[in-house]
Amino acid sequence: MGSNIALKEDDIKGVKMAAKISIPVLRIDAREKAGGWTHYIADYEFDNLQHGRFLRSERARAKIIEIRKPDFPEGYYYIDASDIPPGGKNNIQMIKDDWRVFADGDVRYIGETIALILGPEKQIVLDLLNQIEVVYEDLVPSFTFQDALSCKGGAIHGTDNIFAEFLLNIGDVDNAFPGAVRVVEGVYETGFQEHLYMETQGIVATWEDEKITLYASSQCPFYIRKSVAGTLGVPLGDIRVKQAATGGAFGGKEHFPDVIATPLAVAVNKIKKPVAMIFDRIEDISFTCKRHPGRISIKTGLDRDNNIVAMEIDTLVNGGAYESSTPIVLQRAIIHGLGVYRIPNARIHGRAVATNTFPSDAYRGFGAPQGLFAIEMHMSHIADEIGMPVSQFKRKHFIKTGDITITNAKMHDDVKLPGMLAKIEEMSDYSEKVKKYEDDPLRGIGLSFVNHGGGFTGNGEQAVIKGVVKMKRLEDGKAGLYVSVVEMGQGLQTALRKIASKELELDYLDIVYDNPDTDIVPDSGPTCASRSTMVVGFLVQECAKKLKIKWDEGVGAEAEHVYTHPEEFVWEQETLQGDAYPSYGWGVNVVEVELDPFTYEVKTTGVWAVWDVGVTIDETIMQGQSSGGVIQALGYASIEKCELKNGAFMQRTMADYTIPTSLDFPEVHTVFIDNPYKYGPSGAKGAGELVFDAAPPAYAEAVQNAIGKRIYEIPVTPEMIMEALR
Amino acid sequence: MVDSYRPKDLKDALRIRGEYGSTPLAGGTDLMVRYQSWAGTLPLFTNSVMFVGHLHELKYIKKIENSLEVGGTATLSMVADHPDTPRVLRDAVLSIAAPALRNNATLTGNICNASPAGDSVCALYALDALIRLEKNGSSRELPVVEFITGPGRTLLGKDELVTAITIPLKNSSIDNFTKVGTRRANALSKLSFTGIADYKNGRIDSIALTFGAVGPTVVRSVELEKKLLGLSRAELKAGKESILSDYSTVIVPIDDQRSTAVYRKKVALNLLDKFINEVADYE
Amino acid sequence: MKEIKFVLNGKEVSVKADPLKRLLDVLREDKKMTGVKEGCGEGECGACAVLKDGVLVNSCMIPLGAAEGSEIITPEGIRDTEKGKCIIDAFGTAGAVQCGFCTPGMMMATDALLTQNKKPSVDEIREALSGNLCRCTGYDLIVKGVQIASERGKDLW
Repeated sequence: MGSNIALKEDDIKGVKMAAKISIPVLRIDAREKAGGWTHYIADYEFDNLQHGRFLRSERARAKIIEIRKPDFPEGYYYIDASDIPPGGKNNIQMIKDDWRVFADGDVRYIGETIALILGPEKQIVLDLLNQIEVVYEDLVPSFTFQDALSCKGGAIHGTDNIFAEFLLNIGDVDNAFPGAVRVVEGVYETGFQEHLYMETQGIVATWEDEKITLYASSQCPFYIRKSVAGTLGVPLGDIRVKQAATGGAFGGKEHFPDVIATPLAVAVNKIKKPVAMIFDRIEDISFTCKRHPGRISIKTGLDRDNNIVAMEIDTLVNGGAYESSTPIVLQRAIIHGLGVYRIPNARIHGRAVATNTFPSDAYRGFGAPQGLFAIEMHMSHIADEIGMPVSQFKRKHFIKTGDITITNAKMHDDVKLPGMLAKIEEMSDYSEKVKKYEDDPLRGIGLSFVNHGGGFTGNGEQAVIKGVVKMKRLEDGKAGLYVSVVEMGQGLQTALRKIASKELELDYLDIVYDNPDTDIVPDSGPTCASRSTMVVGFLVQECAKKLKIKWDEGVGAEAEHVYTHPEEFVWEQETLQGDAYPSYGWGVNVVEVELDPFTYEVKTTGVWAVWDVGVTIDETIMQGQSSGGVIQALGYASIEKCELKNGAFMQRTMADYTIPTSLDFPEVHTVFIDNPYKYGPSGAKGAGELVFDAAPPAYAEAVQNAIGKRIYEIPVTPEMIMEALR
Repeated sequence: MVDSYRPKDLKDALRIRGEYGSTPLAGGTDLMVRYQSWAGTLPLFTNSVMFVGHLHELKYIKKIENSLEVGGTATLSMVADHPDTPRVLRDAVLSIAAPALRNNATLTGNICNASPAGDSVCALYALDALIRLEKNGSSRELPVVEFITGPGRTLLGKDELVTAITIPLKNSSIDNFTKVGTRRANALSKLSFTGIADYKNGRIDSIALTFGAVGPTVVRSVELEKKLLGLSRAELKAGKESILSDYSTVIVPIDDQRSTAVYRKKVALNLLDKFINEVADYE
Repeated sequence: MKEIKFVLNGKEVSVKADPLKRLLDVLREDKKMTGVKEGCGEGECGACAVLKDGVLVNSCMIPLGAAEGSEIITPEGIRDTEKGKCIIDAFGTAGAVQCGFCTPGMMMATDALLTQNKKPSVDEIREALSGNLCRCTGYDLIVKGVQIASERGKDLW
């Protein structure tokens, strides 16, 4: 890492854009944030601010028989479904609109919003909340995959609890299996994961200029606008959403803010005063979406030469009580189900089930980490079974440019995995260490390969999002940039400025770009799916080219650019066939560990990463993404245990839901290779999720390599290792 | 809303404690979490509170003959930094949370919190620490094992304050504190272990073995330790299995959100096994 | 309610509040020191870190009454000083800042560390930051930022 971090004073001053875009500049938001000048939502001030708190379900599945309320003093309100105005709907317009704004008649998970209690004094709001008594009639809840598939207590969703079911197929699996001389099977499980952004969820809804205006810690201001307008039954333009500086999100602020925004908007619509809801940490951990738990069964047939001839995968993800984005998460999980491998005959069956757990939703990787963990572990298990080094077996099956993918399309990318493997060998001494640790009962090393499709799956970008960006020449030789994608820590404000300034030949500081306001910026889509730099960044690049041509028209010259789908990528949504993604980011990780034989604790002693993200828009920002993504993923793989007990999360505080500290993992040694993508800005591809994907299987492989027992599940806890060694 | 008091000195504090029975609050690192409410509202104390963290008379650590005396408001950082702090206590204290918390939390608070997972308590049990309790006009001293009676329960009288913790300094040859936390730093304990031992003329002359977070209080069995006194290295080695089996009857952990009973017990016995080997192999 | 005096960023201040009110709330609400962030409210994350009589503490765990007469320094009291500027610039150069929510607390922890140890090793830096959680960076570039601050600011601490 060290050598490519610029230490020059110039770097902290705002230099003219360098010829090569990757050369680091000072992040535009660094100083304001570091000094505490930046205002996050909890730092805003409003006159006459009311404070809201949810009355939440204490039962996983029950009928509401009665709600006994105390008398509310003047100025204090109990807001529920009956306050939704005529023409509105008690539904949150996410990808699906099944999630209710307020539970009405029944509850489906612990923590479900029943009502919003609000008023000027927090203590009085709290006292009122504590006096409310909800009388329930319990129903039989369903929590596990088995519960869901057997429709325990009756179906929660439809007639079969299946939110979504997909089947992908290439070649002829049924005819290929009989030809196999060896069959290897495994079932791979991944747990819930809490985003644990440092800033908890928070929104303030206000009544400004005869209009509901929401200030939100959010990834997707336009999602909030759509959901609030839908709930109130008003045109989109009647709602205004302004993004507040967002203290981390990782997918947790993609759809979930809608769950806060809609009840707040119902309240503001009624009382016409500003209402704040800022979650406490315990509330945020207990009652926000988590990563979908997965259970993935894989069966693989091999021929005499240890080539994979057939693979069958069954993927289950737990969507919780409402559908939200679950089908799209499942799509990504199965489309990434074969990992980076060319399998001639493969079938993947995917199902997302409904349970009475807190609805699962977007989390960095969006299904891919679950699928990739399973395939990577499975490949290592096959290698173990046939006695071949893992790197050799995996390499033997690398997908190549032009090979067929699971969605029956050609792999368009220039796949550079062999070179990336060579690079990480050189950095980590992987193969030598594998040999060295063979007879060492305490040390182990793991190697994983991943890819991650950039942008929305399939035709999402052209059929659903249709992103738009605008630019304008301003006074003093500056240019305004208008996009809806947000800075949430990933460095987007700096990256997009660099992209725009490169085309306009301006200093990146001369690009003016504020946090999005839905009344000002066009809808360039949400901040998710590794699309902001790759897809929106490309729109910015193309828009800047247009503005450059019109620049001499003077101040006020404008340009707009709308997403057009490159013709060579074809997709059929009904059957999920074709180019699932226009391009992929690629990655290789090596993780080295040492086991404490007395406590079964694992110490990570080395972490290496090689990434192909096309071209880095800023080398330092991408170093930060790599270290941050890998460490967050190592937490997922090891210490971030999140268990359910009777439908409630057992780890509810930051002391019990443990994320990595500065002492848990060593430095991540990162290298980026160059592999420009023609529809990315300066050749950049998606990166934010890719950097999460590879570490969990590398870590689990390292532990299994150390203990000599196969691992099928993350997080790999000391408790699990103890059981495995018994 | 409850009353709160800020005594001007120890005498005043003892008076307030006697008069109102107010809960003493030094660092606040346990109490403020226990009574935490909605951000921006007052903590949900049910009893009046007396601030004591500022009482300078009690903010000291000093060596007195063969003991280390830790004043009632000495912080964990002070304990960790003092040159005469026994190694197991230093390791235990440094395993608690992170610098910012240790700068504020007190050793007294960690004891009075009386959590079976209190890391310093595990070490203090093994060190035979004494707790000095004072009230207006009198004082008494109790061994820490007697002072703590159950999870969150102590013999601290309603009118008493802990004014000092006395730790006999023994210069033991073999010692070990191990914490198994939920992560590598800034962690709560899944379990902890302290072992201290010494030989005289080739036979075990003193031994203390304590286990944290494996029962309702820190576990120490003087009875089982007595069985080890007088053993030679060879006898200790030979009797290891029976020692482990004895201890497996007093280590009775539970499942919770941090770990499992099975793991806690197995690892506690592993750490004991390892320590016995260290003692038996000690030259 | 009680009138409580303490020194805030070098100036004597007086706050009328319940002595059990969290110092964090007093700083943020009464004193508008919003550089002090609430990340957890239970002393785990360090986002609310301030200096109390020169040492690093978590303001979420300190009742106002326990801060009476003490000297409190928040990010607002450091950021415009030479030391503060040095840390902020070093964090910028290193790329230590992502979402930024933990960063003012990291600045406080860095100042506390460099006050005690002008030239900390990587291990010492990681130990000193272990009570300040960050979910974005994986800590590598924050560690780098502290190293740069230590190098550039060798005459400041």
